Amino acid sequence: MSLHWLKVAAATGVAAVALASAAYAQTVRVTVAEYSSKTGPYFEKAATEFEAANPGTDVQIEVVPWDVLQQKLTTDISGGANADLAIIGTRWLIDYVSQGIAAPLDDYITDDFRGRFIDTFLSPSVMDGKTYGLPIAASARAMYYNKALFEQAGITAPPATWDELKAAAEKIKALGGDNYGFGLQGKEIETDVYFYYALWSQGGNLIEEDGTSGLDTEAAYKAAQIYKDLIDQGLTEPGVTSLNREDVQNLFKQGRIGMMITAPFLSNQIKEEAPDLQYGVAAIPAGPNGDRGTYGVTDSIIMFENSQNKDTAWKFMDYLFTTEKRAEFDENEGFLPVNAQEAAMPLFADNADLKAFTDLLPSARFAPVIAGWEEMAAATSNALQRIYLGEGEIQASLDQAAAEINGIIEANQ
Amino acid sequence: MRTSRLLRRSIISWLILSPLIIAVLFPFAVMFITAIKPATEVLRPTWWPSSPQWGNFITMWNATNFGAALWNSIYVAVLSTVMSILVSIPAAYALSRFRFVGKGFVQQFLLISQMLSPIVLVIGLFRLLVALKLLDNLNAVVFVYATFNIAFSVWMLQSYFSTIPKDLEEAAWMEGATPWQALRKVFLPLALPAVTVTAIFSFINAWNEFVIALTMLRNQASYTLPIQVFSLVAGRYTVEWHHVMAAAFVATIPIAIVFAWLQRYLVRGLALGAVK
Amino acid sequence: MNRSIFTNPYVLIAPAFMLAAFIILWPLFQIGEISISNVNRFGQLRGFSGPENFMAVFADPQFLASLWRTVIWTVGIVAGTILVSIPVALILNEDFYGRGLARVIIMLPWAVSLTMTAIVWRWALSGESGMLNSALLGLGLIDQNIQWLAQASTAFPVQIAIGILVSIPFTTTIFLGGLSAIPDDLYEAARLEGANGWQIFLTITLPLLRPFINIAVVMNTITVFNSFPIIWATTQGGPANSTDILVTYLYKLGFNFGKLGEASALSLLMFALLLFFTIIYVRLAMRGERA
Repeated sequence: MSLHWLKVAAATGVAAVALASAAYAQTVRVTVAEYSSKTGPYFEKAATEFEAANPGTDVQIEVVPWDVLQQKLTTDISGGANADLAIIGTRWLIDYVSQGIAAPLDDYITDDFRGRFIDTFLSPSVMDGKTYGLPIAASARAMYYNKALFEQAGITAPPATWDELKAAAEKIKALGGDNYGFGLQGKEIETDVYFYYALWSQGGNLIEEDGTSGLDTEAAYKAAQIYKDLIDQGLTEPGVTSLNREDVQNLFKQGRIGMMITAPFLSNQIKEEAPDLQYGVAAIPAGPNGDRGTYGVTDSIIMFENSQNKDTAWKFMDYLFTTEKRAEFDENEGFLPVNAQEAAMPLFADNADLKAFTDLLPSARFAPVIAGWEEMAAATSNALQRIYLGEGEIQASLDQAAAEINGIIEANQ
Repeated sequence: MRTSRLLRRSIISWLILSPLIIAVLFPFAVMFITAIKPATEVLRPTWWPSSPQWGNFITMWNATNFGAALWNSIYVAVLSTVMSILVSIPAAYALSRFRFVGKGFVQQFLLISQMLSPIVLVIGLFRLLVALKLLDNLNAVVFVYATFNIAFSVWMLQSYFSTIPKDLEEAAWMEGATPWQALRKVFLPLALPAVTVTAIFSFINAWNEFVIALTMLRNQASYTLPIQVFSLVAGRYTVEWHHVMAAAFVATIPIAIVFAWLQRYLVRGLALGAVK
Repeated sequence: MNRSIFTNPYVLIAPAFMLAAFIILWPLFQIGEISISNVNRFGQLRGFSGPENFMAVFADPQFLASLWRTVIWTVGIVAGTILVSIPVALILNEDFYGRGLARVIIMLPWAVSLTMTAIVWRWALSGESGMLNSALLGLGLIDQNIQWLAQASTAFPVQIAIGILVSIPFTTTIFLGGLSAIPDDLYEAARLEGANGWQIFLTITLPLLRPFINIAVVMNTITVFNSFPIIWATTQGGPANSTDILVTYLYKLGFNFGKLGEASALSLLMFALLLFFTIIYVRLAMRGERA
């Protein structure tokens, strides 16, 4: 009995019970990352509006939890079942471009369209002179601090350097109670990023000019030492390796953490969940030479090369990037405006919290455009966790991670 | 006299079981208490909310698309159970009643297929569904669940069927019944307890399954309960724990009731000769 | 003899066999193909690669570490489950006030999806907001919060304990089935001969329960070996991979790092490992039964 026969038999059997979903001629499937409980409804609404304005089109939104987005896209593509459009982390884009999976958008992008964007956010999606994605979500990082705790501890201004940060954390610790000076993330996504803030302030780089890892440098050792000292002296929350970003943010919302570094969306959460919290947003502390860096992140929406409805898909993209739709999205989710007109709207321009973030944009650094980035981030996080737990010496752990990363870089060349 | 001995045994039994019972009930308590906390108190590990927020269940129901997920879970679990039972009964009957060439092969094949868990096969399974254009189709998930339950169901049913004397059917044949009539009138009624137990096992497996649903269902409208709840904690920028716990709690109730009701059959069915 | 499709074993077996063969063997074949191919991160095959993927898996120190941890994980949970379930089943098999209620409570974890259980535990184990710490503090058992998931030395045992807790219902059910199949007159005879409870357990209950124990070991081993949600939802194998078992390592390899070739090779290795264990165990158990 041939496999083909089996296939046909099973297909007809299943088709008999399947709820037939009549395929529209102009169906556009969009895979969307779920940033919050508002993401799904936002895109559903956008789809409905778009369908109403463009009769004969059908936009299907597939909302995917962020943790499994990469897995779903991978399996989708491997099975040839990917959508027409998808949101991806821009740091993954190089894999999509090098394998010919993402379609270049330059044929669609007019100068007028390009002019809508703030260049800092569009440029990470440009590779080899071609634009492969549009920044659907953009954020940077800055330092949140608890004004009430600062006042009680007699700290007058947010710390500008890591030394000042440590001093401030000591004062907060001296207050007693279950308050902690500095919130340090030690688990899951962006554990490595939390370390880069210190690394950049010491003048370090993720990837050196010679194309090797920057983890086996003095700057990296010093940066790790800063965090290790904070942990050892009880100036962070206990058990840092069991707290992911959301856990640290939760402690901040409870008013138990003096300072933490995170993204603008925390302001939105505080507004809803802890409206009484007195907090401020300031720059990320600088190093001895005044170096500082914040992490810029964009997620891109890309079009797949194998899409059958590229024109309609583009139209929908175009619609998503109108100023009104962007403003609605960024207000919902607490992201930074990527669109110049949008940024000028009072909603964003007069927002003190956001201003702290946009002021940092000149020092924003993006994840390097390099294949296998997730694997390198994992190697870095592992080394950091060993250091934080005291299971590994700083230098040895970082050197080992650097060697791993160099191996990955080599393997991908 | 007898009563006091029973009473003493009851006290001792409950005492010995108490650590386990506490460990079992603890997560339920966590679920329930977190679920009724006001949003501002969720992060504080107190054991009772200042004022219980029963409305959380209603806001959760709407915020998490709970009704649709519940219906999907019921749909998938019931259909896949029916399907795996329908194909497993004849197979188990054949294995318990007849000697035939290839019987050993079939039994070994079933044991091996029991060992292949969905997570090990997920890449290949996904390609299969894509080739059949059945992605994001609840019915396809029904087929997959049913299949992964076949090995266990056949094994359970077969060992039970072997304890039903063959004479009964042969006697029916003698009286002129066709094999089908003999099966229906004599055999199946006797097999009912085992079928019930097997069905419960299949139902639970389908109800709880995670990896397949996560990979094969792309659209929130087709999510089953486990992935719907998982999507509330997976990588969002904020987690509404009281909603998560309310959803987990409500998702647990229906099957817990079914359990309380069927649990005696479960043991009886297993007792009546299974595992030989 | 009546000729009928109901007496033809091949016809009777065909539906189950074909379904299983189709939905299990075809994917298995696909995985086999990927494992010996050059494959990009999106699963597109780019030619034959020989045993390269397998070599890469063996060369990764994470593989051996995860393998060893998987052994601890599986043995720990299976042994723990059996050791707890036997006395529990013995108690639940006797009549006492509230037995029905006790049975329902002990079966409860079965009614909850493993994913949800794991999510609830992750929440309960949280160091600062977790209700486990606050309960233990309230009872005076600890004097400061324990960061359960911060290091493997506390996280892994807790994960194993959760694994035991959720495996008990199935195992206890099997044992209860076994116990109720033991005829009462055997016990009475033993009692008449003056055997005490422990002797009765050793000479009657345990030997007659043996086939059920064997089944419980095999079934639990298969499930626990492949169990993903508990570890994934609590620590994702961290910190620093120190709670990774083979399935979580497999997931990272395949879906976080996009190394589908190596992931497929690992899938096959895991399958072979499980097959090997089962054959050995079944052989040993059968020999034991005959003796």
